[in-house]
Amino acid sequence: MSFTVASSFNSGVAHLTLAGRLDANTAGQFKAEIEKIAEERPTVVALFVQDLEYMASAGIRMLVFTKQKLGAQTDIYVIGAQPQIVHTLEMTGVDKSVIFADSFELAATN
Amino acid sequence: MPTLTLPGDLNSLEPLTDLVLEQAELAGLDTRATYQLRLAVDEIATNIILHGYQEQALQGEIVVTAEVNDQALVVTLEDTAPPYNPLKRDINRVKEDFEKPLHERSIGGLGVYFAIHAVSEFHYEWRNGRNRNIFVVHRTSPTATEGSTAHSAHA
Repeated sequence: MSFTVASSFNSGVAHLTLAGRLDANTAGQFKAEIEKIAEERPTVVALFVQDLEYMASAGIRMLVFTKQKLGAQTDIYVIGAQPQIVHTLEMTGVDKSVIFADSFELAATN
Repeated sequence: MPTLTLPGDLNSLEPLTDLVLEQAELAGLDTRATYQLRLAVDEIATNIILHGYQEQALQGEIVVTAEVNDQALVVTLEDTAPPYNPLKRDINRVKEDFEKPLHERSIGGLGVYFAIHAVSEFHYEWRNGRNRNIFVVHRTSPTATEGSTAHSAHA
């Protein structure tokens, strides 16, 4: 399985659904999608990653890019991350800058 | 001992990963150890392709070998890019970034950090005009935790 990303936008919230392998070869697709949603100036980005099986450092660089592109005040939710991806984000302290949740609806109302 | 010769191109990451996953299963590694090995090998291969070959306007190959023995799974990447020892990277500067919020981070060095910290042992050699990056995952112990990885370099 390679990589797919799809996005939608609703009331200031950008929804991105990622699946497959996010590595140096596929990160460009993610970056292009971030640049697309940046035009809508979202205040919240929800990443649905239930079907994302792998994230390399290129994926982490894309999270850095997202924050730098959209601004520090933009909240990034990571929804349904597999344990190994959570571990990768914890190894690099990224967990302190994103919000993990099993469900975006529940997390966003808390 | 499986050996795979791949072009120094990002499209090679997928077959490289497939070999690593296949050998990790053969070695009986658990889910986390398998993922961490995949991460380490993928990151170093990416650096070889992007920095060793493409940035130098060079073409070359990556030769991957995997060996399962009683104690460990050993994966070796060989390339003909200019000599580069990942262990000489200042990992402490990379780690300083981990305390910063995302928008204040630089974006380099993560791959080497993963390579060194995600496996039981990481070794680098320069031999016969080739970089050799060697990843060792012990079969009997849990995944290496940060700070416990052994590493060495021989030039």
